[in-house]
Amino acid sequence: MLRLQESTNRWEILYRRFLERSFNILIPLGAILAAFVISSALIVARGANPLSAYAALFAGAFGSSNALANTVTRMVPIIMTGLAVTYGYRSGFFNIGAEGQLFMGAMATTWMGITLTGWPAWLLIPASLLAGALAGSLWALIPGYLKAKRGFNEVLTTLLLNYITIQLFEFLIRVDHAVGLGHPFLAWIGLKDPTQPFPKSAYITEAARMPSLTSLLTWLGGTAEDPAFQRFTLAAVVAVLAAVVIYILLFKTTTGYRARAVGVNPRAAQYMGINVVRTTITTALISGALAGMAGSLEIMGFQHRVIQNFLVGAGYDGIPVALIGQLNPLGVLLSALFFGALRAGANRMQIVSGAPVSIIYVIQSLAILFAIAGTVIDLRPRRLKQAEIEEAKRLEAELALQSSPATGTDILGEEARHV
Amino acid sequence: MESLLRLEKICKTFPGVVANDHVDLEILPGEIHALLGENGAGKTTLMNCVYGVYRPDSGTIYWKGRPVEIHQARDAIALGIGMVHQHFMLVPPLTVAENIILGLPSPREPLLDLKSASRQIRELAQSYGLPIEPDVPVWQLPVGVQQRVEILKALYRQAELLILDEPTAVLTPGEVEELFKVLRAFKEKGLSIIFISHKLEEVMTISDRITVMRAGKVVDTLPASRTNPRELARMMVGREVFLHIEKPPCTPGEVVLELENVRAQSDRDLPALKGISLQVRAGEIVGIAGVDGNGQTELAEVIAGLRRVTEGRIRVLGKDITNCMPKDIIDLGVAFVPPDRQHMGLLLDFTVSENLIGKSFDRPPFSRYGFLQRRFIENFCDGAIRSCDIRTPHAQVPVKLLSGGNQQKVVLARELSLQPKLLVASQPTRGLDVGATEYIRRQMVEARSAGTAILLISTELDEVLSLSDRIAVIYEGEIMGIMSAAEADLQEIGLLMAGSRAHVATGTPQTA
Repeated sequence: MLRLQESTNRWEILYRRFLERSFNILIPLGAILAAFVISSALIVARGANPLSAYAALFAGAFGSSNALANTVTRMVPIIMTGLAVTYGYRSGFFNIGAEGQLFMGAMATTWMGITLTGWPAWLLIPASLLAGALAGSLWALIPGYLKAKRGFNEVLTTLLLNYITIQLFEFLIRVDHAVGLGHPFLAWIGLKDPTQPFPKSAYITEAARMPSLTSLLTWLGGTAEDPAFQRFTLAAVVAVLAAVVIYILLFKTTTGYRARAVGVNPRAAQYMGINVVRTTITTALISGALAGMAGSLEIMGFQHRVIQNFLVGAGYDGIPVALIGQLNPLGVLLSALFFGALRAGANRMQIVSGAPVSIIYVIQSLAILFAIAGTVIDLRPRRLKQAEIEEAKRLEAELALQSSPATGTDILGEEARHV
Repeated sequence: MESLLRLEKICKTFPGVVANDHVDLEILPGEIHALLGENGAGKTTLMNCVYGVYRPDSGTIYWKGRPVEIHQARDAIALGIGMVHQHFMLVPPLTVAENIILGLPSPREPLLDLKSASRQIRELAQSYGLPIEPDVPVWQLPVGVQQRVEILKALYRQAELLILDEPTAVLTPGEVEELFKVLRAFKEKGLSIIFISHKLEEVMTISDRITVMRAGKVVDTLPASRTNPRELARMMVGREVFLHIEKPPCTPGEVVLELENVRAQSDRDLPALKGISLQVRAGEIVGIAGVDGNGQTELAEVIAGLRRVTEGRIRVLGKDITNCMPKDIIDLGVAFVPPDRQHMGLLLDFTVSENLIGKSFDRPPFSRYGFLQRRFIENFCDGAIRSCDIRTPHAQVPVKLLSGGNQQKVVLARELSLQPKLLVASQPTRGLDVGATEYIRRQMVEARSAGTAILLISTELDEVLSLSDRIAVIYEGEIMGIMSAAEADLQEIGLLMAGSRAHVATGTPQTA
């Protein structure tokens, strides 16, 4: 009994491949479209015109260089946290702790920028970014180690670490920062600007900031009048590069193969000779580094200092960004664009059309809901579906015929029973 | 005496398999009736038909002389049939009492009445001699006591017939004794018990009558007092026609695998291997015969480095691999076809191609400097798909969409592509159709001719008999005897498999 018709027809193969691949893009696009359509009913209920509201939203996100800068600014951190969640999720490490890792990264980067003020830009920029990545990955190492070695549920540990991080952050931005040796350790790691009464850090040194389009144009000998150009920084380029690197890492390298294998089935991965403990820890480190860099890029590219609530929620936003991006690093770029544009355009939408800002959260939530629901829809040819049904029946028969519990066959079932 | 339960011409087929073929069975009130048969004989399927898990395709079920329709477990319970599955259906965090009343209406709806339930359970347990503490969470109980909870669950629902599916498989010898005492007490009180098992000695000890099943059919039903283990073994194993395999004579070379007094624990932390010593030489197939669950899984896993050895040594080509990492063992040339391709042998969500490189992806030329070499991998996979006749439209199809036979071909293709010195094949043809079975067996014989040492672990006796050069019988984690295939006596093997040491095998275990 053949599950799949063998086919030598090249075109049919190509058609199937197209269907299999494009399907991943069609789901989120359809979900977003459906979210907009349904949300328009709410806008109508508010007495506003949905078309003009969406037009204003679009204009607010892409209509001017200023609008575009807003969108890009909002995209960068959620690209990074989306990648952190994607890489973790694909590898069986459900990192809910991107929020905390992001704050750790932001703190480390800020510390570099207010402490190593004498360093040149060519050294300080990569060093600050690296510090953020390291801080994030060390923070993720705790749940990674606990999961790999002790079987702790990483969802709980990463989530709980977030609260610890936020408190640590709240504490450190209230401790006066002192540069140089000879100070108490606490003053050394404190982040607060001693010249100010408020809980925030000093601005990081000029050399630690990401170069912007303005500085590029100036360096080329031109002039840039548009102030928005200052907000197009290297941070955005780094984020896009990170997505490409993670895509290659995940799908084209042995590291990614190991990670995905452990993510799909740790027992089979172990059987294939993959060191599950080491792979899980590596995954946590990579995921944490990405989330940490989200904080670094926000500081180095846009805010240039930490203040209270400087970027709350970007870590958690990584989860829906990753899900709508179909857990694909390149999909994360597109889904971050959607999230970024919604937030950037929301104010303009409210001012121009009267549709409230909160509509964008409705759109966002509906899109997530539909994207998840959409994965159940099956557009593949009927023959393929039939094959899966037959397979399910056959499996049932096979299971029915096995009559002893002590076989390897039921290892998973048994573990589940003991949990 | 009027029968309590009578089955008439029950048939049940699954796609491609006849699980029950016109089965007749009669259970009398107050008897312990054993259902004996090898794995896959159809015992559990038959009982699932009685319990309403499956609907029989045809045939009639009579309860106390009346024909009844059992559509779901609820109907069976209403009639007075209780079943204790092999895998307990308990909710671990709930207490014993909560588990027992689960699904029953409470006398104080919508509130629970745990207090009176606890009392009733305690009384019930007392009256049957099954001491139990109703307020303890189930996860804290040892397996034997959990089984007791399952039995009480059935009794609480006023079962008159209790079906126990391989109840002793999970128990320690002491717990088995306890269980038997309880079953005898049930019998005194007029309950009937169906006892599913494949262990001869047990069946002889506990049952009044024994029904032997083979390949979905009832061979015979006879009183325990008028039969003996030897006869039962013969009926159970039968005289099947073996698939004929062309096999050149065996020319064993150096010792490739050597196990020395190996001990290991099962997942439940009970002794699973109790001092196994065994040798496999280059160019020979050593078959491990035995009923499922006697340590076969653990044996394969200790060799592959997937389970800790508590005592003893394992050597491959003279090198000690005891408790080494799986990776190191693979690199020494040990291939392993695991018994469970769905959960262990394959990454179901991965493509055919990704599965084919599962053990070699990190060595050149499959990858260089950590990057997978797509062109080489594609060529390699196309070659493997062609040479192993794996039926798939292309290499990028998720392997879960392939048929079982083709999935197993992927596993075997991957393992043999490593050009192993030793191949451990555990249940290599389980659940496969005839064509795929034959292909897999032929491949193994070819590997043997090429000088690979093969350890074949199978619960299908005919597979072991037709492929092996030497046969070892395993029972409860011990090797009962090793014999050359030429001298193997079917009845002898049947007896050893069932744990009867009446005759110690007089084979010629080859030593180095």
